[in-house]
Amino acid sequence: MKNFKNIYLSLTLFAVFMFSFSYMLVPLYDIFCEITGLNGKTNQEKVMNINENPTERFIRVKFTSTIANSAPFIFEPVDREMTVQIGKIYNTFYTLTNNSNSLKHATASPSVVPSEDAEYFKKIECFCFSQQEINGLETKELPLQFIIDDDLPSDTKTLILSYTMFNTTDQIGSNLEK
Amino acid sequence: MSANIDKLHDDHSHTPTGIMRWITTTNHKDIGTMYLWFSLIMFFIGGLMALVIRAELFQPGLQLVVPGFFNQMTTMHALVMIFGAVMPAFVGLANWQIPIMIGAPDMALPRLNNWSFWILPFAFTMMLSTLFFESGGPAAGWTLYPPLSLQGGDSMPFVILSIHLLGLSSILGAINVIATILNMRAPGMTLMKMPIFVWTWLITAFLLIASMPVLAGAITMLLTDRFFGTSFFTASGGGDPVLFQHIFWFFGHPEVYILILPAFGIVSTIIPAFSRKKLFGYDSMVYATASIALLSFIVWAHHMFTVGMPLAGELFFMFTTMLIAVPTGVKVFNWVATMWRGSMTFETPMLFAIAFIVLFTVGGFSGLMLAMVPADFQYHDTYFVVAHFHYVLVPGAVFAIIAAVYYWLPKWTGKMYNESLGKLHFWLTTFFVNLTFFPMHFVGLAGMPRRIPDYAVQFADFNAIASVGAFGFGLSQLLFVYILYNALKQRVTAEDKCWEGAEGLEWTLSSPPPYHSFEKAPKID
Repeated sequence: MKNFKNIYLSLTLFAVFMFSFSYMLVPLYDIFCEITGLNGKTNQEKVMNINENPTERFIRVKFTSTIANSAPFIFEPVDREMTVQIGKIYNTFYTLTNNSNSLKHATASPSVVPSEDAEYFKKIECFCFSQQEINGLETKELPLQFIIDDDLPSDTKTLILSYTMFNTTDQIGSNLEK
Repeated sequence: MSANIDKLHDDHSHTPTGIMRWITTTNHKDIGTMYLWFSLIMFFIGGLMALVIRAELFQPGLQLVVPGFFNQMTTMHALVMIFGAVMPAFVGLANWQIPIMIGAPDMALPRLNNWSFWILPFAFTMMLSTLFFESGGPAAGWTLYPPLSLQGGDSMPFVILSIHLLGLSSILGAINVIATILNMRAPGMTLMKMPIFVWTWLITAFLLIASMPVLAGAITMLLTDRFFGTSFFTASGGGDPVLFQHIFWFFGHPEVYILILPAFGIVSTIIPAFSRKKLFGYDSMVYATASIALLSFIVWAHHMFTVGMPLAGELFFMFTTMLIAVPTGVKVFNWVATMWRGSMTFETPMLFAIAFIVLFTVGGFSGLMLAMVPADFQYHDTYFVVAHFHYVLVPGAVFAIIAAVYYWLPKWTGKMYNESLGKLHFWLTTFFVNLTFFPMHFVGLAGMPRRIPDYAVQFADFNAIASVGAFGFGLSQLLFVYILYNALKQRVTAEDKCWEGAEGLEWTLSSPPPYHSFEKAPKID
C-alpha cells in the first residue's frame, strides 16, 4: 500500500503544480515579451537618469490614438508627426475631452510599431503611467516626454507610438498597480 | 502486491440491484458501462446542436435561428462533444478494458472512480441549463477567448464552474488509471508486454494531469478578471488578451492528443486481430506515442500564428509542429505493415479501424498544411480548419470508439451484434462523414470563415451538400442505437473468444465476464 500512496501523492502534487504553473505563465509571458519585444510594450515606469546625447541621426515619430469600446472621449495627439533627433529629449501633448456629463477615469495603454524597436522608445514622462481623472465636458492636456535611444537600429526610419484610451470608471483600483 | 488487493476485495460476488447499484457502484465494469452510455447520450445532444448549425447553413441568409443562438450552438456543440462525448467514451473504455487487459481485479481507486463518473451528469446539467437562461448560453466559442468571453451573459460563471468540475473528474480518472497500470499488472506483465491500448491510456493519463490544471488556471483567471477586478487579460488594466490564448493552447494542444491517443491504442488492437498477425513494431508504437505526447507541449502557438509573433517564434512552432508528423507517420506505417500479407477479414470493427487509418491520415495532412505559417494566414479561422479537426475527430476519435464498441461488445455483454447491420452502419457512416466534411475543405480554401450563421452565396452549393451529409450522418447513428438494442435483446451468448485473431487477457474470460474478474492474478510468461 505504501507504493500506492506515493503514486497518489506525487500525481496529486503534479496536478497542483500544473495549476500553479498556469499562473507562473503570466510573469513568464511578460519576461518573454520583454526579451523578444513582442506586443510593442514600452517602459511602464519613468526612465530615470537619462542623459541627453544628441546624435546626427533623425527619424520620424508618428502619433496615433484609439478609443476603446466607444468610450465617451475625444482623444487625439497635438502633433501627429515629429522629426526627431536621436538622443534628444522631446515634449508633446495629447488632448483628452470627456464628452459625458460625469466624472470619468481613463487609462491609456501605449504600443510602439515596429514592436522590436519598442525598447528604444524611452518615455521620461507619460500620462500612461497613471490613471487620469477627468470631469464631465472637461478637456485636458496630457503631457508626454520622451527620448529615442541611440542604440536604435540604423534601418529604422519611422516609429509609430499609439495609445488606446480605456474608460476605467467602473474598475477603479483594479489596475495600474503593476 | 496483488495478493493484498485480493484480501481487500471481500468475497462479495453478489450483484446489487436497482438504481442504487449504479449510484453506489465501485465496480469498474459498471462504471465503464455508465461512462459509455453517458457518452452516447451526450453524442446525440451534441449531434443535435450540430444539426441546428448545419440546418441554418443549408442556405445562405438567416432562416432558422438568430445569430446569437447560432453562436451558442457552435460553442456548446464543441464543449459537449469534447468533454461529454469523446473524453467520457475513452474513460469508459479504460474502465472496462484496462483491468481485464492487465489481469487486475478492479481499478486502483474504486470509490474515486465512482465519484469521477458521477461528477459528469451534474456538471453537464449545469452547463446545458445555461441555454435556458434569459441571456443564453456561452457564445464566445469553446476556446473562451477574452475579451469576448468576458462580455457574455450570466452563463459564464456557470460554464466555468462546470468546466472546473469536468477537469476535476478527468484528473481523478487519470490518477486512477496511472495508479492501476503501475501497481496492479499481473505478475510477469512488464511495461513492454502491456497491451498497446493500456500504453496509450497511460500516456494519455499523464497528458490529462499535466494539461487539465492549466485549463483550470486559465478559466479561473477569466473568472477573477470578470468578477474580482484582476487584469490578467484586460488591456485597460495592463493585461493582455493574447496571454489567454497562450495559456489556453498550452492546455489545448495536449488536449487534442488526449482525444486521439486512446484511439491509436484501439486501432492498434483491432488491426492485428483481423489481420491475424502481431502488431508490427510494438516498441516503435510505444515510443511514437510517447514522443507525440512530449511534443504536444511545445507546439501550442500554431493555433495562433496570426496574433502577431516574432518570426523566430513562428518558425519554432512551425517546425516542431511538422516534427509531430514523424512519429505519427511511424504509426500509420506500422498499421499498414501489420495488415501487409495478413489473413485479413473485414468485420465491422476492422472496417471502422481501416477507415480510421485512411481518413485520419487525410486529417493529418490538412494539419500539416495548417502547420505552415505562410499558408496558415490564409487558412486561419476558415472552414478549412473546421474540415481538418472534424476529420481527425469524427473519422478519427469517434470511428475508433465505434470500432471499440463493436469489437468488445460481445465480450462485455455476451451478445453478438448483427454483422450485416454493422456493415451497413459502417458504409452509411463513412459515406456521410465524407459528404459532410470533405466539401468544407473547398469552402474553407475559398475563404468561408468559421463560426458564422450566414455566408456569401458563392459557398451555397458545398454548404448544401455538407448539410445533407450531416443529416445523413446523424440518422445513420440511430441505426447504431438500433444495432445495440438488437444485440442486447438477443438470447444467444457470444463465444468467449469471439474473434479468431484476438489476443489478450480479456479473451480468456467468459463472455460476459464475471462481475469480479481476475480476483487471482493470471500468470504471464
